[in-house]
Amino acid sequence: MTRQDFRIVGQSVKRADVLEKVTGEGLYTGDYAPAGLLHGKIKRSEIAHARIVRIDASKALALPGVKAVLTHADVPRVLHYGSPHPRSASCTRDQYILDDKVRFWGEGVAAVAAISEEIADEALDLIEVEYEPLPAVCDIDAAQVPGAPLIHGVGPGGNLVIPPVHVERGNVEKGFAEADLILEGTFEGGRPVPTYMEPNVCIADWDGSNKLTFWTSTQSSFMVRGALAEVLGLPLNKVRVLVDHMGGGFGAKQDLFQHEFLCALLAKQTRRPVKMEFTRRETFVAGRSRHPFRLWLRQGFRKDGTLVARDMKLVFESGAYGSHSPGVTNVGTASATSLYACENVRLNGRAVYTNTPIAGAYRGYGVVQTYFAIDIQMDEAAERLGVDPAELKLKNAVRDGDIAPSGHPIIGDGLPACIREGITRFDWAAKRAQPREHPTNPAIRRGWGIGCEMHGSSAYPGIKEQGNATVKMNEDGSVTLLTGAAGLGTGAHTALAQIVAEELGVAFESVSVVHGDTDVVPWDIGAFASHTTYLVGSAAKMAAAKVRASVLRRGAERLQARVEDVDLVDGRVFLTANPEQGITVHEAMGPSRGIPAEHLIETASYMPTKSYSFAAHFVEVAVDTETGLVEVKHVLPVHDIGKVIHPIAAQGQIEGGIQQGIGHTLTEDYVIDRTNGRSLNAGLVDYKMPLSMDMPHIETVILEAAPDPGGPWGAKGVGEDPIIAIGPAIANAIHDAIGVRFHHYPITPEDVLKGLRAKEETTNAGL
Amino acid sequence: MKTLVTLTVNGEERSLAVEGYRSLLDTLREEAGLTGTKKGCDVGDCGACTVIVDGEPVNACLMLAVEAAGRDVRTVEGMQAGPDALHPLQEAFMEHGASQCGFCTPGILLMAQSLLERNPDPSDEEIRFGLSGNICRCTGYTKIFDAIRTAARRMAAPPADASGLEAAE
Ligand code: FES
Ligand code: FES
Repeated sequence: MTRQDFRIVGQSVKRADVLEKVTGEGLYTGDYAPAGLLHGKIKRSEIAHARIVRIDASKALALPGVKAVLTHADVPRVLHYGSPHPRSASCTRDQYILDDKVRFWGEGVAAVAAISEEIADEALDLIEVEYEPLPAVCDIDAAQVPGAPLIHGVGPGGNLVIPPVHVERGNVEKGFAEADLILEGTFEGGRPVPTYMEPNVCIADWDGSNKLTFWTSTQSSFMVRGALAEVLGLPLNKVRVLVDHMGGGFGAKQDLFQHEFLCALLAKQTRRPVKMEFTRRETFVAGRSRHPFRLWLRQGFRKDGTLVARDMKLVFESGAYGSHSPGVTNVGTASATSLYACENVRLNGRAVYTNTPIAGAYRGYGVVQTYFAIDIQMDEAAERLGVDPAELKLKNAVRDGDIAPSGHPIIGDGLPACIREGITRFDWAAKRAQPREHPTNPAIRRGWGIGCEMHGSSAYPGIKEQGNATVKMNEDGSVTLLTGAAGLGTGAHTALAQIVAEELGVAFESVSVVHGDTDVVPWDIGAFASHTTYLVGSAAKMAAAKVRASVLRRGAERLQARVEDVDLVDGRVFLTANPEQGITVHEAMGPSRGIPAEHLIETASYMPTKSYSFAAHFVEVAVDTETGLVEVKHVLPVHDIGKVIHPIAAQGQIEGGIQQGIGHTLTEDYVIDRTNGRSLNAGLVDYKMPLSMDMPHIETVILEAAPDPGGPWGAKGVGEDPIIAIGPAIANAIHDAIGVRFHHYPITPEDVLKGLRAKEETTNAGL
Repeated sequence: MKTLVTLTVNGEERSLAVEGYRSLLDTLREEAGLTGTKKGCDVGDCGACTVIVDGEPVNACLMLAVEAAGRDVRTVEGMQAGPDALHPLQEAFMEHGASQCGFCTPGILLMAQSLLERNPDPSDEEIRFGLSGNICRCTGYTKIFDAIRTAARRMAAPPADASGLEAAE
């Protein structure tokens, strides 16, 4: 698994995709414009829950330049999944392309294709829709009361998306009986949205053989292919999905969206290519958010700080459709078996429908919510027990051999290593020994906090994943890697090319990557679950190893040596005993008159289980007690991700995750009016994200503390981890600064002021 | 009704037939074939469409093509000095990992270029302030700041030194 002499892995080589990005040459889906392109637009409901009693498109169809209009009467009525993992047992079939019912404010009710965007927009206004309003259920309490209006006729009953998830280990009652300290609390979180910079966009085009070519900004091109084929009744080889550069996704671009089906159908009807591009507003209204949640948590501790019992009830708000709720509920619930080891746990997780926009997959996938609660309560326990929170977390941190949420034993002491490293590097004890008062500004109080997390690389056991890679050696010795993994901006293709070059023994520059065409590249499950490096990287390594073996065999023949006596490094096959005597890979491949001596193309499949990455984030905040503003001043994230393939790309994942996590914790919340389901802040000005002026000093530390034998040279995932740890770290630091506990996010300035006032009142009352 | 608009794009004079309501952004992307400039919002909130017009950074989604008539427009496609000569900012963005998904990158590059033209030696605060209208959701900005500092240093350095740096890379 490990070796000493890495030449390419571990280097921050230049990313080929970034060259195209800095020159503006890289093509994103919206940059394509096939000849004869029509523009598609969606008419969206202005009511949260209703039956459509009449829909009349005749005036829209009569508008010059309009080529097609689709309503629920014109599209195939196939019940399908929003989450594109149709083979996974836990997914929910609850969507039609268009229905005669609307379930959230902003749901598409009709679609138009026209010769220009302006005409398409005009046509939308001409479509007449008459609704029979139904009572709207806009929060998780209303959805759960007995007799609540039902949003779907499917599912296990009530407004539940799936049957409740129940996980039990040990004996919780016995655990609590042994506890000296029992803490109980309820935690809540808002509705952060991923806000990728590239709004969703797709282009559909049908050819004369009834084959659909579909460009789309997706993390899961093969899932899109599968779902489109299923719903449109086509064999898989009649749907070709293409994606080149992507302007971010962060999990949400795993879903198959309503507009994608509609785009394909409009193109089919008009026999012309059709482009559908979300406005920024639509990325909110019709995009996917993190699940809002409520979580009740009770934990018991012994005097010495040992955690002895954990009881948790968790409710996720799914919004109008199930999308990823089955996965999020399973992962979010099971994650509470771990992080801080506890033998006695009883966990209950559920997801409920409401008449609000759809919650889906988003970086951190249910774990953000669970660990926000667990880590904050751990901090409270430290306070009550009179011990340092970092020490208490270190004492209870999961270790080698503890059972992970997946049911497998954890490998290595990654979490303790992160906490220890951070305590030293952050100078934790010395920082916390300082006065909380700011040296010069009496309104400011300072605080220091720690938050921890762990996250799996791969969706196992929810999905039995498969990573595939094809490696070709060309007759000149250059190498082509074919992968279905999407390039959503993380640098995954570069990491895969590094792995191939390293394993094969050729220069990084001689490996190029072909991706993004489902007709050409091997099947791929999609870029999510922090698994591309771990899963596809392992497959790429295996395929490269097979090619290497053939090159060594060929080279040995040419050198008239035994294959055991030759080596392959830097594109040269040579005698191990006499490195001077060797030939290039090109020579080994022995093309004669342009024909290679051997056609070298190898494919490998890899079925992983799961590894866990770990992190501890140390933060400093400054709280303005007059305005309530919280400023994150300094973050020291320590991550264990096993073998690091590309250090700068890994740091970039961590820093970007922290940016989003700071937003979720302090400012970001896509607000829905709970009385009628309307969006209140669907835009980049009203939805407040941390930007250049808001980012703290980040001092990223990456450890290779607990390599996982399931990943290439022990590499594990990193994409989701940072967004999980930062939230509780900030909340804990705020408490350290002002002595007020917050059990929710975002923690707004109003909340801070209210909290300070309440604290003052209690103190006064106590006097 | 289309009007013929003549403007200079990356040093080249272009005459483009556009509707009066067409934004400069849509015109560059759809009429001039320059898709490097991105559309993240179309309402002036994200900076992905930043271009330089007569030396000033502008959100191309907020300017009509007809307003750009007779003016000098620079986009990301015009940043390179030659086919193999990246602009120092482009080079530094690659080295530092200042671009992930890259959707914000053209706008940020142009904003940074304009910043460095006005202020060749910006402080950290000035860099942060200079980018306050450009949203990047991937990077956390840290590596963007690093890249701009590096590029500023190299652009200020005497040519011999700069080429030495290039050679070492
Ligand atoms: S597209 Fe112009 S500012 Fe967003
Ligand atoms: S790199 Fe993705 S938005 Fe900046």
